[in-house]
Amino acid sequence: MTAENHIAIDNIIRECGSDKKNVIPLLQGLQDHFHYLPADVLKEVCRRTGITPAQVMGVASFYSQFRFQPTGKHIIKVCTGTACHVKRSGLVYDAFTRSLQLEPGNQTDPKGIYTLDKVNCLGCCTLAPVVQIEDTTYGHVDVEGVNRILKSFELKQSNSKQKSSILNNTRKIQGEIRVGLGSCCVASGSEAVRDSIHSAVIEKDLNVRMKRVGCVGMCHQVPLVEVIPKGKEPTLYSKVRTEDVSLIINKHFRPQGLWQKLSSSVYDLMTDIQTDKNWDGISQHHLQIREKHVTSFLGKQKPITTEFRGAIDPLDIDEYRHHHGFKALESVLSSISQQDIINKVKGSGLRGRGGAGYPTWEKWEKLKNQTNATKYIICNGDEGDPGAFMDRMLLESYPYRIIEGMIIAAYATQVKKGYFYIRAEYQLAVNRIKEALRICREQDYLGENILGSGLCFDIEIFEGAGAFICGEETALIASIEGNRGFPRLRPPYPVEKGLWGYPTLVNNVETFATIPYIIRDEGDNYNKLGTPNSKGTKVFSLAGKINRGGLIEVPMGITIREIIEDIGGGVADDKNLKAVQIGGPSGGCVPSWLIDTPIDYQSLKEIGAIMGSGGLLVLDETDCMVDIARFFLSFTQMESCGKCTFCRIGTKRMLDILNSICSGQGTFRALEELERLAQSITNGSLCGLGQTAPNPVLSTIRYFRDEYEAHIRGVCPSGKCQDLITYTINDNCIGCTKCAQNCPVDAIPFVPYEIHTIDQELCIKCDGCKQICPEDAVLVS
Amino acid sequence: MEVRVEINGNKRNVENGITVLDVLEKEGIEVPTMCYLKGTEHFPTCMVCMVKDLQTNKLIPSCSTIVADGMDIISNDEEVVEARKTALELLLSDHVGECNAPCQTGCPAKMDIPEMNRLLAAGKFDEALMVVKKDIALPAVLGRICPAPCERACRRRNIDLPVSICLLKRYAADHDLQKLAPYLPDRKKLNGKRIAIIGAGPAGLSAAYFLLQKGYQCVLFDKNSLAGGALRYAVPDERLPKDVLDEEIEIIRQMGAVFEMGRELQKDELETIRKEFDGVIVATGEDNADFDGLDKRHRSFIVERLTHRSNLEGVFAIGSAIKPGRVAIRAVAHGKEAAIAMDQFQKNKPVKGDIRMFTSRFGRMYEEDHEAFMAEADDYPRIETAGDEGFTLDEVKSEAARCMHCDCRAKDDCMLRTLSDMYRVNQRRFFPKTRAPIRKIFRNKPVVYEPEKCIKCGICVKITSMQQDDLGLAYIGKGFDVEIEVPFDDSKLKLLEETAIQCAEMCPTGALELFENERY
Repeated sequence: MTAENHIAIDNIIRECGSDKKNVIPLLQGLQDHFHYLPADVLKEVCRRTGITPAQVMGVASFYSQFRFQPTGKHIIKVCTGTACHVKRSGLVYDAFTRSLQLEPGNQTDPKGIYTLDKVNCLGCCTLAPVVQIEDTTYGHVDVEGVNRILKSFELKQSNSKQKSSILNNTRKIQGEIRVGLGSCCVASGSEAVRDSIHSAVIEKDLNVRMKRVGCVGMCHQVPLVEVIPKGKEPTLYSKVRTEDVSLIINKHFRPQGLWQKLSSSVYDLMTDIQTDKNWDGISQHHLQIREKHVTSFLGKQKPITTEFRGAIDPLDIDEYRHHHGFKALESVLSSISQQDIINKVKGSGLRGRGGAGYPTWEKWEKLKNQTNATKYIICNGDEGDPGAFMDRMLLESYPYRIIEGMIIAAYATQVKKGYFYIRAEYQLAVNRIKEALRICREQDYLGENILGSGLCFDIEIFEGAGAFICGEETALIASIEGNRGFPRLRPPYPVEKGLWGYPTLVNNVETFATIPYIIRDEGDNYNKLGTPNSKGTKVFSLAGKINRGGLIEVPMGITIREIIEDIGGGVADDKNLKAVQIGGPSGGCVPSWLIDTPIDYQSLKEIGAIMGSGGLLVLDETDCMVDIARFFLSFTQMESCGKCTFCRIGTKRMLDILNSICSGQGTFRALEELERLAQSITNGSLCGLGQTAPNPVLSTIRYFRDEYEAHIRGVCPSGKCQDLITYTINDNCIGCTKCAQNCPVDAIPFVPYEIHTIDQELCIKCDGCKQICPEDAVLVS
Repeated sequence: MEVRVEINGNKRNVENGITVLDVLEKEGIEVPTMCYLKGTEHFPTCMVCMVKDLQTNKLIPSCSTIVADGMDIISNDEEVVEARKTALELLLSDHVGECNAPCQTGCPAKMDIPEMNRLLAAGKFDEALMVVKKDIALPAVLGRICPAPCERACRRRNIDLPVSICLLKRYAADHDLQKLAPYLPDRKKLNGKRIAIIGAGPAGLSAAYFLLQKGYQCVLFDKNSLAGGALRYAVPDERLPKDVLDEEIEIIRQMGAVFEMGRELQKDELETIRKEFDGVIVATGEDNADFDGLDKRHRSFIVERLTHRSNLEGVFAIGSAIKPGRVAIRAVAHGKEAAIAMDQFQKNKPVKGDIRMFTSRFGRMYEEDHEAFMAEADDYPRIETAGDEGFTLDEVKSEAARCMHCDCRAKDDCMLRTLSDMYRVNQRRFFPKTRAPIRKIFRNKPVVYEPEKCIKCGICVKITSMQQDDLGLAYIGKGFDVEIEVPFDDSKLKLLEETAIQCAEMCPTGALELFENERY
């Protein structure tokens, strides 16, 4: 090992600590430096610290973030989250494999430039399928676009960026331009747009305030830019491209009147967007918030947790204060007793938003009654559900609101120390929270004697390392303690015996973010929303085959139909609704005939779904329900911690059966076995992951048994299961040869102006010909 | 402080803070466990200790659930049994290993062939013979005429040719017969019961051999003047020299068998015999006569499979009399099975015959398995003998060393096997179409590690971490693919000897076992 490496290791150990409990940050530090975890480096670390090889490797091999092989220069992440899956990201992944000429078992290309990776969810579900290379995210990727992406990335690498200028505060400010910088926006290129605006502003010598804002929720329209000329109505532009920037700025900050002409009816542009499939080539549109169709997207929503969305700069603490920020905390510290806070939370009817729906006040009261001097609060931001990104959006957009909620909880339950546990993949969220915590300390909201009240409380960030199971509270605690994320048997519950054995409150991000509103809420407004057993609002990520996807906050009790039709604008591409998947890998599918079911804990449970963390995935007639069940089960199977028999082996065996059904090898007996085994896993698992893992399978069998039976007979009714379908070309073919040129395995002979044919022996069912055919002449049967 | 609970409907006040398993143990209720290591922090993984709590109507792992007031525990109802059974079946679907070697399974008499081979290879011929004679009454005879179904099942076939099991057995038997006083199995004290055996052929002789050991008096009736049946009258001398047969019959006589030769029983005499004796075994061979009242189809008496019970109480039938074909090894196996069933009948126990213990199987062997299988076997080719010669001493040691020891080191001491047997599991229920290749890792001598047998209970991980063994074992990876491994996969690393031995002792399966066995 080189002397340089020795120094690097020393520095990392000094920075991250040398104790067993620091093993995860330590490994993260090492991986940051070395890009992977070389065995000799790990051994060296063991020599220099008290950490044993068993501990280092036990932990490192548990979390998916850690790599043991060197990677290529760039990492290509293909999102395999739910929304991407139903938009066929699997085919995109295969296309990259071919394009990079990867050898089996090797994820890095022969030249060592790219490493191909699957990720659970990049949180850009409305842009599905999504691919990320380094910092650049590509949305709406199709098989045929893979090579273009690689080229465009290479081009981008050769052009270096430059920029920088400062707002001149001495001159009169002409207005404000808000750029959405939530993850979806960033993924869709909002940073480049911001850079263009920045350059344009400098070039034109305007004195315009540029402001980043959190997620607006209209992720189907990103990147979003809102222009507010001083003293005038704001205009919201959607799907903005860098080349549009100059035009937009000219419209607003030059003589008036020009932009009004360009304004067209929102209805038209909506229809336009619906049919647009390409990831480049979208023209910009602007939306007037008051126009009818935008109103319907926002109108049925009830922003409480997401109050003032799109209007406040996530990190501007003054602005937060202007929008009722810290009012709840101040009133609590000055005039509300601890018991009254808990009573207030109880009165609101708030139940934990992490999925299980445990009454929040009960946890708080239990913690408060623990006489231990040492207690902890943990904000669970380990959102791992493929297809859900509510917590990420809240962390990125409302850091102060969540922190305020945590301080109130700390005060009510007499806790001095809190943790943010945030998924490592949520780098933007981690950075924002880090900064927000620093500012809060500066401004006396955290630390000793908060606002002179005598309250002492501070919060530390712990970055997760990539394990879905760590969303389970006992596994999360094990992870902070520097262990593998094995869940523990409950009871004892964390409020009795949690982190380091001390009483610990674990609440979800959304739960904490709702607290300030509830405390401020004089008229019991929160409690008035919703149904008898489910109060208030819930944030969902609406994605899949929907016209207007995005983040929505709706009152409990709203029907699934209202969400799909009114907020989401119906199923995309004029297809028929088949089902809505609610609750992700722990949830179930609600068939189209039950969409008048109201969204509340009880009603969803009765129909075999769950509230879960809030993923809402719309499926249309072309989606295969067996495939969906298999998708979710393969996710939970991969993410099982591997401790208990039923989950570790049981989910694998269920997957074996599902795989055989999807490949036409299934039997009716195996289907019965699948149901029996599912029940055994539900009954015999210790933690929530195992107990709910069979849900997607059970609910699809319950409502779509005919589809399972069709597969057993050798037919995939939706034409999705590769082993059960064939591609053929019909008479619509005009002999354009596009498919022949595009076929990666030369299964289509090149015969210009003749009807093309597909050699079934060679065909790998990559779907490339179907996607590229201009005449819709490729049939799947 | 105490908590009030109900255990299978009985109200009890029990100590606070103890586990449900502790409570059940105090009540004298046995609960199966595998991953449980007394005195360590609970970490339930195997889930075979499940019981039901009616208060919540949930299944709970009793080994680590602390009792709470109001619990209403059901320790053993249908649902609990089903859950335990399913847990075992899941574990077995990922347990690539075999308890008994295929040769033993293939042997009609279920002789422990690998054990014999190990002892022969070590030159311990007397002990080898005892292993043989535990299951086979006439090994010297069979060593010459057995069609050797065991060799057809021998996995060494996949590498080159099967181990020459039959000749190895013959060597052990011949070596014994050459002694002035050949081996006589231990016999229990006479229990005063008398069994009549009709026919002194291989089946009848075998039945007598086993019944005599169990303390019964045996009288063998035969129409011929000399015992041996078809062995004497149908097998040519050059295949089976008659002195070998005589010597082995002599051993049975020395054990106390009474031979009434030249006595052909008539149709109506069975009734008389039944009255005179406590039990009757009919072993009259292929061309047997009828007996009044004894059901027959074509030329064979009708008996229950496994127990050999006929329609007449206390009458059992075996050998070619129930299945023609004159397969000596089958006849000898029948004799053993009927002796066991007869003993159960005489003692008024349920007559179940020779219940075979559960044995895990994995089916076909793959090319990728060869290395692991050959790891403990010598790799030279099968030794062939000229003509009808048996092996020499050197040959026998060498040929025995070709055995790959397909049986499990832990076959007599495996919780997974014991419980699988108890819960009558079906290993095929979840067994996948393709399985992991088999590995045997000797890196950590003094133990052998067979990862495919590991049930991930975590006991060894716990032990190594408690012993502060720096090298330690760890869970590597997660989910289905998790493995117990020495970190960094470094061949130079090994466990501390003491820890290794402790791990091997505590391993509930045959995954971690001591490499050396002092027997060999």
